[in-house]
Amino acid sequence: MKQLFTILAMTAAIFTVVFSVLPFSNLAIFPAIASIFFTSMAYYLSKKTGEVKKIIPFIFFLTIMSLALTAYKALFTTGEVANEQVLKEKEAVSKEKAIEELEELDLDDINLD
Amino acid sequence: MKHLFLSILFLISYAIKSQNYAFEAGEKLTYTASYNMSGILTDIAEVIMETSEAKTSKATLLRLKCTATTYSKWDNFFKIVDLYESYVNPKNLTPYLYKRDIKEGNYTKFMKYTFDQKSNTIKSVQRKRNNLEENKTFSINPGTKDIVSTLYNIRLIDFKSMNIGSKKSFIIVFDREEVKAQITYLGKESISTNIGKRACYKLAISSSENVLQGKNNNLLWLTADENKIIVYGKFNIPVGTGELKIKSAQGLKKN
Repeated sequence: MKQLFTILAMTAAIFTVVFSVLPFSNLAIFPAIASIFFTSMAYYLSKKTGEVKKIIPFIFFLTIMSLALTAYKALFTTGEVANEQVLKEKEAVSKEKAIEELEELDLDDINLD
Repeated sequence: MKHLFLSILFLISYAIKSQNYAFEAGEKLTYTASYNMSGILTDIAEVIMETSEAKTSKATLLRLKCTATTYSKWDNFFKIVDLYESYVNPKNLTPYLYKRDIKEGNYTKFMKYTFDQKSNTIKSVQRKRNNLEENKTFSINPGTKDIVSTLYNIRLIDFKSMNIGSKKSFIIVFDREEVKAQITYLGKESISTNIGKRACYKLAISSSENVLQGKNNNLLWLTADENKIIVYGKFNIPVGTGELKIKSAQGLKKN
């Protein structure tokens, strides 16, 4: 049982690390909760038998570090749009073409007053 | 005669109501679009709604432009660069030309509508990934608008004279098909936004197609002032749920 919880905690911790470095880092919270739960169970069972393996605090440390990274990304990173220039050029070309097309339309009777 | 008079009065009052007093060229509204991933809202894209003048030799039209661009961190996963434009009469927002140029991952699509308001027809041009051009002319109902001008048209509604629960209908042409949309006025509500705490008109949007799902699941909050800018939106579409939050507002007609 102790081993099972350790394996589950390690798996969840790996997911936490992977998610925390990806753009959808907010999702790391779910495996992190699972990892903390499994680590606690593994620690409790190990404590009962009197031997706590070093891997358990390591998994806990890994999870906390990933959570810290997730929190940092959520609080301090703002969304930025790359290649704005490309879009601006696309917009300018589109407007130019649109005006050419509008010139061909019968706009004389539009009441703009 | 009485009916004729009433009809004329109704038309005049409707025309007055739909005059554009809410915005002019030079307005820029920036939003953050968030998507609900397993219950956690994640910012995915920046949406900009901008107005500018489009001068031809015969008239000066208003260009309504909407862009949606994914934040750079998503670009390696799923890059979106969407451009929507509508060239409209600045006074009553009647559309003359609409363009939609989208790039979403590997999917690209270009759509152009040239409105003929006299004959109520649209001349459309569609281009997809293979660059094959498909032309089609089709009839529309009087008053049918494109999606961009409809969004701006919502800002022309006189909510002060509307009762809670009252509805307004629109016909939107999208993908060369007419879709009936309806907004329901749900009353006033104060909400905190990035541009301060604002008293807002709360609206529910629904459509005849399955684009917008559920009853009162698609909501819009417009500032309850002369500008009536969209400051917050909640949407429920077939691919999930999300939000639209205002980031900044520039060039407002009335400060």
